[in-house]
Amino acid sequence: MKLPWFKRIGIFYIPKSMIGWIMLLSGFIYAVYIFIDIDSRSHSVSDTLINFVFNLIIIGAVYSLIGYLTSRSDNPD
Amino acid sequence: METENFENKLIQMTKPEVSQLKHQDMLANAITKAKDKSVVSWWWLCIPLYIIATLLMKTFFIPGTTLISNIQKLTGKEMYSSVLFFFLLPIVFITINFISIRKIYLLSGNPKTVNFIFSIWFNAVVIIFSMLVILIYLLKI
Repeated sequence: MKLPWFKRIGIFYIPKSMIGWIMLLSGFIYAVYIFIDIDSRSHSVSDTLINFVFNLIIIGAVYSLIGYLTSRSDNPD
Repeated sequence: METENFENKLIQMTKPEVSQLKHQDMLANAITKAKDKSVVSWWWLCIPLYIIATLLMKTFFIPGTTLISNIQKLTGKEMYSSVLFFFLLPIVFITINFISIRKIYLLSGNPKTVNFIFSIWFNAVVIIFSMLVILIYLLKI
């Protein structure tokens, strides 16, 4: 598969190819699923948010690692 | 006739100029790589920082608890993951970012302080926060 999939802008990795967009979309869908799951089990808004933000950070960390590893092009020259 | 041509050619010839030095490319590459590494480090460092922030909130809202007691409780429950996120990962981030800063410094030659700080400030921030996380983790001992 042809690299790069992502391009870094600031502290975010922006998709540059179709696979990159699929990755971002998967992360987003997973985050929505996690939110619904946490919301169904939590007792208050703050309970939902505190647990959701933690999961969101983990998703962001994994996404950034994938972005870092796949943001280099195949031919550096 | 041939000599004249050769002389004309010599006049037209200019000194070979290298518009961009290889060294400049290396420095630009090192700065980009350092920024990439600092961004990934920052995302992973957000995990222990967020946990510390929630423990601070817990300390603030639940009377009779301290940050140290909360960290002790956490490390008792999650022994391996707490060592990973509060000790091992920050050490890795400090090492990676320190090496990146050193590489930029060496490639820059004798850089102006302002320019140098401008190019490595995010790596420095990551190092400072990593040290803070390790310090807070070691407070429980």
